Amino acid sequence: MTPMLDIVFIMLIFFIVTTSFVKEAGIEVNKPPAETAVPQTQGNVMIAITENGDIWMQKKVVELEQVRLLVEQAKAENPEGSVVILADENAPTGVVVQVMDGARLGGADRVALAASEGSGS
Amino acid sequence: MRRKHKNSDEEADINMTPMLDIVFIMLIFFIVTTSFVKEAGINVNRPTDAPPQTKEENDVVLIEITDTGQIRMGGRTVDIGAVQANVERARAEKPDATVVVAAGKDSNAGILVRVIDQARQAGALNVSIASDAT
Repeated sequence: MTPMLDIVFIMLIFFIVTTSFVKEAGIEVNKPPAETAVPQTQGNVMIAITENGDIWMQKKVVELEQVRLLVEQAKAENPEGSVVILADENAPTGVVVQVMDGARLGGADRVALAASEGSGS
Repeated sequence: MRRKHKNSDEEADINMTPMLDIVFIMLIFFIVTTSFVKEAGINVNRPTDAPPQTKEENDVVLIEITDTGQIRMGGRTVDIGAVQANVERARAEKPDATVVVAAGKDSNAGILVRVIDQARQAGALNVSIASDAT
């Protein structure tokens, strides 16, 4: 029984360490391609912006004013986390910039714009 | 009152089953909740902390994106593919300049990301997004 217990404990520790509770946005968007995109290691708050300008956070549509509060709550839970904004290719830039502002006001010091890795032509 | 003393040479026999139950339940919980999401993206500067910094005109490489998706640099309309070359040339003239992208409210985010990507390929790793003064 001891070898099995060893393996089970090692798996348990592995999964405890690697678990990061990512707050999914809850919608898929068409990300624009960018060659210089780098994987965001600590992105754990996802904010999606659809092509209509709707903001999705934590699997529901939120208002622009709520973004700041929700980011603040997420920062309180995980101070290390950063914010990743998944903007659709056709999303209006004004909304993107306002969401970025909201995230900054909520205390996120690292905000990234999501892009798919690949050549943008 | 007499205390019961255990025989010291008796093998200690701990019941492992409850611990195993808990460990397995924790294991299953962590397996299920683990998500290996690694979102790729580009970091952008968005200086919003009041007071807003007003950059000197001469140490900024300004790229404007109009609402219709046209890209303007230095008063000229440039093609999306030519942004990299233009940024490289501007940075050769002014090596300390920061790149600022001023995007119109109704322009598409895809163009914004492409322009930032091109500027980063041209060597400008810190690209800022300007807010509309209006």
